Amino acid sequence: MDAKRRNGGPPMGGASQAKRGKTGGDWEDSPSIFEEELALFEEADMEEREGQAGHDVIPVGELFSADLNPRWRRPQAAPLNPDSDTLVFQQIDLDYYLGAAVAGMPGQSQGNVPIIRMFGVTDSGNSVCCHVHGFAPYFYTPAPNGFTSDHLSEFKRELNSAVLKDMRSNKDNISVTVLAVDITRKESMYGYHGKRIVDFLCITMAMPRLIAPAKRLLEQGFKFGPFPIQSFSSYEANIDFEIRFMVDSDVVGCCWIELPKGKYRVREERNVGETDTHHPGKVSLCQYEVDVGWTQLISHPAEGEYQRIAPLRVLSFDIECAGRKGIFPEAEKDPVIQIASMVQRQGEKEPFIRTVFTLQSCSSIVGSQVLCFTKESQLLQSWAEFVRTVDADIITGYNIQNFDLPYLLNRAATLKVHLFPYLGRVRGIKSVLRDSSFQSKQMGRRENKILNMEGRVQFDLFQVLLRDYKLRSYTLNAVSFHFLQEQKEDVQHSIITDLQNGNEQTRRRLAVYCLKDAYLPLRLLQKLMCVINYMEMARVTGVPLTYLLSRGQQIKVVSQLLRQAMKQGLVMPVVKPEGGEDYTGATVIEPEKGYYSVPIATLDFSSLYPSIMMAHNLCYTTLLQKGSAEKLGLTPEDFIKTPTGDMFVKSSVRKGLLPDILEDLLSARKKAKAELKKETDPFKKQVLDGRQLALKISANSVYGFTGAQVGKLPCLEISQSVTGFGRQMIEQTKQLVESKYTISNGYQADAKVIYGDTDSVMVKLGVDTVSRAMEVGREAAEWVSSHFTPPIKLEFEKVYYPYLLINKKRYAGLYFSSSADTHDKMDCKGIETVRRDNCTLVANLINTCLQTILIDRDPQGAVAHAKEVISDLLCNRIDISQLVITKELTRTAQEYAGKQAHVELAERMKKRDAGSAPQLGDRVPYVIIKAAKGVAAYMKSEDPIYVLENNIPIDTQYYLEQQLSKPLLRIFEPILGESKAESVLLKGDHTRCKTVLTSRVGGLMAFATKRSTCIGCRAVLKNDAAVCDFCKKKESELYQKEIFHLSTLEERFSRLWTQCQRCQGSLHEDVLCTSRDCPIFYMRKKVQKDLDDQEKLVSRFGW
Amino acid sequence: MVPPPQRFPPELKSPLQISAAQSYGGPARPQESPPRVQEKARRPSPGHGPRGPIKAAMFSEVSAPREGSSSLLLCRPGSEDPEPSVFDRVQPAYSPCAERFKLGERSFNRQYAHIYATRLMQMSPLLTERAQQKWGADVRVRKLCDLQMGEQCCIVGTLFKHMELQPSILKEISEEHNLLPQPPRTKYISESDELILEDELQRIKLEGNIDVEKFVTGSVIAIYGAEKNDGKFTVEDFCTADLPPQTPRTTLSSDRFVLLLSGLGLGGSHADSMLALQLLVDMVTGQLGDQGEQSGAATISRVLLAGNLLSQSTQDKDASTKAKYLTKKTQAGTVDAMRLLDEMLMQLVASVPVDVMPGQYDPTNYTLPQQPLHHCMFPLSSTYPTLQLASNPHQATLDGVRILGTSGQNVKDIQKYSSMDSHLEILENTLRLRHLAPTAPDTLGCYPFYLKDPFILEECPHVYFSGNAPSYQAKRITGADGQEVLLVAIPEFSSTQTACLVNLRTLECEPIRFSSFSAGDDEESEMNISH
Repeated sequence: MDAKRRNGGPPMGGASQAKRGKTGGDWEDSPSIFEEELALFEEADMEEREGQAGHDVIPVGELFSADLNPRWRRPQAAPLNPDSDTLVFQQIDLDYYLGAAVAGMPGQSQGNVPIIRMFGVTDSGNSVCCHVHGFAPYFYTPAPNGFTSDHLSEFKRELNSAVLKDMRSNKDNISVTVLAVDITRKESMYGYHGKRIVDFLCITMAMPRLIAPAKRLLEQGFKFGPFPIQSFSSYEANIDFEIRFMVDSDVVGCCWIELPKGKYRVREERNVGETDTHHPGKVSLCQYEVDVGWTQLISHPAEGEYQRIAPLRVLSFDIECAGRKGIFPEAEKDPVIQIASMVQRQGEKEPFIRTVFTLQSCSSIVGSQVLCFTKESQLLQSWAEFVRTVDADIITGYNIQNFDLPYLLNRAATLKVHLFPYLGRVRGIKSVLRDSSFQSKQMGRRENKILNMEGRVQFDLFQVLLRDYKLRSYTLNAVSFHFLQEQKEDVQHSIITDLQNGNEQTRRRLAVYCLKDAYLPLRLLQKLMCVINYMEMARVTGVPLTYLLSRGQQIKVVSQLLRQAMKQGLVMPVVKPEGGEDYTGATVIEPEKGYYSVPIATLDFSSLYPSIMMAHNLCYTTLLQKGSAEKLGLTPEDFIKTPTGDMFVKSSVRKGLLPDILEDLLSARKKAKAELKKETDPFKKQVLDGRQLALKISANSVYGFTGAQVGKLPCLEISQSVTGFGRQMIEQTKQLVESKYTISNGYQADAKVIYGDTDSVMVKLGVDTVSRAMEVGREAAEWVSSHFTPPIKLEFEKVYYPYLLINKKRYAGLYFSSSADTHDKMDCKGIETVRRDNCTLVANLINTCLQTILIDRDPQGAVAHAKEVISDLLCNRIDISQLVITKELTRTAQEYAGKQAHVELAERMKKRDAGSAPQLGDRVPYVIIKAAKGVAAYMKSEDPIYVLENNIPIDTQYYLEQQLSKPLLRIFEPILGESKAESVLLKGDHTRCKTVLTSRVGGLMAFATKRSTCIGCRAVLKNDAAVCDFCKKKESELYQKEIFHLSTLEERFSRLWTQCQRCQGSLHEDVLCTSRDCPIFYMRKKVQKDLDDQEKLVSRFGW
Repeated sequence: MVPPPQRFPPELKSPLQISAAQSYGGPARPQESPPRVQEKARRPSPGHGPRGPIKAAMFSEVSAPREGSSSLLLCRPGSEDPEPSVFDRVQPAYSPCAERFKLGERSFNRQYAHIYATRLMQMSPLLTERAQQKWGADVRVRKLCDLQMGEQCCIVGTLFKHMELQPSILKEISEEHNLLPQPPRTKYISESDELILEDELQRIKLEGNIDVEKFVTGSVIAIYGAEKNDGKFTVEDFCTADLPPQTPRTTLSSDRFVLLLSGLGLGGSHADSMLALQLLVDMVTGQLGDQGEQSGAATISRVLLAGNLLSQSTQDKDASTKAKYLTKKTQAGTVDAMRLLDEMLMQLVASVPVDVMPGQYDPTNYTLPQQPLHHCMFPLSSTYPTLQLASNPHQATLDGVRILGTSGQNVKDIQKYSSMDSHLEILENTLRLRHLAPTAPDTLGCYPFYLKDPFILEECPHVYFSGNAPSYQAKRITGADGQEVLLVAIPEFSSTQTACLVNLRTLECEPIRFSSFSAGDDEESEMNISH
């Protein structure tokens, strides 16, 4: 249901066409047989199940009796003996809590202590909860001059009392806040100061939340002992406790943890009275629960066999609620009527649990378990129990984060289902909703709801797609069509209530639909390898899996930086974020626009920014402040001056941290790529490919981290130097190429760089074959590379032939890379193909024109095609779905500052029929209709269905002038010339034949009477005959033309409607689907309309 | 006029041809000669209003029948025969009963689910009865929703065949922009096809003793077997509704024939078939052969044209996709061919009643049932009341013999979506399914009927035909209740030059071939018009 797809995020424009999936290819018509698929699953499960007659409809109220589905539970856990067994598991979630110290474990023994908690799964599929003891938060501050170990206790005492005093309340009754202060020899990471290792105070606090006040108190000015009041700057005081622990214990996200025998303790199930500090009882729902000291666990780096992934349980679910007409479902009022759930083991092909919980009876669904309830509260409670029994590691679905989960939770609260909100793995921790807003450069501002579920990773596919893919539409339907080439039946929410109020068959229909919505996210996760890629990313960057979805890019770099710094005894300062002036970005060589029918070689710097940082040893630790070169007595050979005037010492003096991190990342990527080539197993291939991609993204985010001005550790000297070098290199490349490849040097022609951007240059080499261009291109790349410091490398990547250069960042060409004979693809950059504020007609037309120009090399054909489409547009022959513009309704009309087309439409639709009007959060599709002169543009929007039904004329001029003309002229100007393009395309014969529709509503129509006209000559007729007397002799001809048209329409009608009948998977029931993303939706409506009109026309000839 | 000047090519060696030529004194037979075999009673009279003879004469003085010269004109002036014989054409009792296929005002605001639902509702009592006959009166007939796992039972439902290769308009739409045409196929079946049975509410996958390839979507059948616990139904046996009851036909005292013909393909490139067609017309109208032949021709009581009067090449598929400014001035590709048809028909209808059914390529609507061709396209022939513009499918009773059939779309469609190839086999199959066009509406265009499915066979025809087959095939079958049916696959005339002659007295059928004279098939080049 699309009503629940809220918070669609800001529109994303300007994306490349590369992201558009390939339509065509291997198709499956499988939506129609979704039920059969369900049935098929059953087959595979047969071996495991006991021969039990009948379907799995468990009658009301007996859900949790003895015959609970045995597949729900995890496999029986073998007894664990800590003295002889080693426990190995993959941790997937990591957090900490404050709890009573466990006797016999390291660390503080009094009061509440921070305990790290890891959740994971063993190879045998058993769940593990591991309490890690003894790790305490700490931070650094430089020791004042003259500070010796004698001052330590004084310092500690003073700070302790200052922190205690600072606390407004002390509900935990903490007496000791500062656990320890030690002197260590460390060096600040920021700037090169001659490897001066100085004394730092390492201050260990009792709890993570005490770090901030301690840091503040020290900064404000702190006095102790004989020292004067002074401000202490702090280092590493802004590190998350989990990250701190992971860095110090060398644990990375999703890695395998080994607890050696004899080093851990197993917790048992105990009643309240039986526990003591030495033997705490189990607190989690995990099968194994253990305690271990933080220095006792072994973390395995993700290499070799430890690259594997445990059989994680992935639960996908979807809910349906019965809304009232015209109102978006509200948890306080509208019941949850169905919850479909599917559970799949990571790495397996199909889900092994498929259930649907329904309110009221529901007929059985082959292959799925149907559980019916008469009371909604029981349904909710049972489902929560189901989640706990299944004990999923990963919970997914489509927009569960902002719709399904909050709705369930609020609904449970309304119905007072007290046992519902315990969805996590820790008993007694209630799942509560919080609002969060999250901002990143990459994604903009997001408002999200957050629900805590300890130990389970929420992996909302909708969020993943928003993050990683730029799409026209993010409805589940559009997404599954895009990635799986499957249409999904889309049932309007008003019908859902009707289906629920019907009988057990209509509810069954709804259940099948609901199951499909739970199933698709699993298929998509698999297809897009989301889980694998994210795990790889977590392993590479060393952060917990959950951080990747809830946090930005920075934390990943911080984690890596800290790991690297620790090795070298460096500490990271805390800087106050402040906005600074912007620095110059990448350079662009002014494009020489035009259509090139000769091969254009493209030379790229591979991983430009990372390699610049490596080549020039750019890092925090190598940065020389002004004047410090002289102070430190460095000779000019010891440092470099960057194009922006900043200075960095060379690696001979000190190797930077960032180059180290980058080298690790890039060499790991190289390794992964090499392994990928060798690997034959498709699943492992997926893992490796995900890995190398994660490595590439991480390497690029390092540069961004240094430039993020509100980041953890911005350093503009680094980032501006990097872009400075980039600009310089592009210019230099241009000069080098143009100086060597000249006629005077014996080459065929003078080479010319026609365009260059950030990390690539396009060169017209003057050769006429692709293979020759490749040859010269390779040679040139190698030769130019020799002028740069390694590892900077210019690579020959591809040849464009032909090449259409429209403007900066706008070009298209046929891409030759692997072979000189056949092109790999058509590459379009910055051309209207994905932009969502355009109608699809633009993208389709531009795309076809480009194909005709580039692939068929038929610019005239492209012009002819463009003309035909324009003519079709003016003659009302374009499918309306291609004219639909979609915008999300994020606020009500009052909240919008200016009037907007889609908002106005939503208001008008509400007046017409509140039931079907778009709700807040819906995407509103509209078309622009004709209106009287002077009517504001925002009043010309109209609902496409309403337009079709009432024969309302489309404002074709708007589409021609506002939508089509600019992009069309852009691509045709380089070919036809600037002045000619407009006259050829936008004027001429093809614009003169128009179809004028007469609207059935509004305006003067109420007063007009319609007179029939002769079909042949349009003369007004007195009666309703087909032709006038004059045309009578041509009647046969005229009839044949009309009947031919009728027959064409009929064929279309029958093909479209039978397709929908097939897609919905039932022959005997009407098609209910109202998926506006389906290309058929408007077409089938329009053909119905056209056919009725044509039928009326033909019937004037009499039978 | 239809034929080219060389009416009787000199190479013609057949004795029949010679006798025909002799009787008229050679090939130079004047054009004015009126039909030799006349249909007396139904000649048009002035009372026919706008379609009367005056107007006809205006259009074509050449061939129009002349008032008042009826008895004498059969004698050719200057003939050596002193007693010119006139053979009166037999006049069978004819009543068209194709009302169920005529639609009148149509509306497309409905969906296709209704026709499936009606079909199942109407057929399931029949099938239940059949099932009880076949598997015993106590057989358990279940609905899918009451299915008990493992229980032997019978289920009645509509078949749905899931086919990987089935062309999908969704695919085509998205491929439109990728310029990837789908390769056309003659068959869309594949190994991975699956049969699914759907009753009113649910569906289940079928396996076991049922030939997946042979069945098509839309057939209503009863299956017997049990649901295995893997969610599939294992079929042990199945049955179809089989032949409907039949009204016995009246015994005729003499031979009477109906000439079945299809696929004239006018407007195409078959010059040979044009000649053959003229021969056929001449034969039927009695302008060919000796008196014996002519008397034979007089026993042809009716001609039935089963569709595809025009050639496929008259269909200008581009016209609907091309931009309007390019096609504004063009006329439909069928116009010339229709004119030709009109002239050809006029020759026929002047002498014999003709039923004209439209076919796939003829200018009428696309979906079944195709409505009769519009009379405005027949300015010449429609003046004769003997011209019967019929629907497709068409049904009529001729001397108590019930004739039912289509122009072949239903059969061709099943051929594409099943393993069956023989048109006759498919025809028999539809009879056994008791449904003319099971694949409608799924793959065969069909009007969205509401509360009725006119394609269910309620009464068993005596002659059951389909047009536009690749070759002539016919056979007689006898039903379980003694029904007698003649099945005829009428070959496409333009490629086979063959028509079928059905004897209404004996329900026998034989092909007549008006062979072309192409080199290489000498043996076949005799003009077999004997019957």
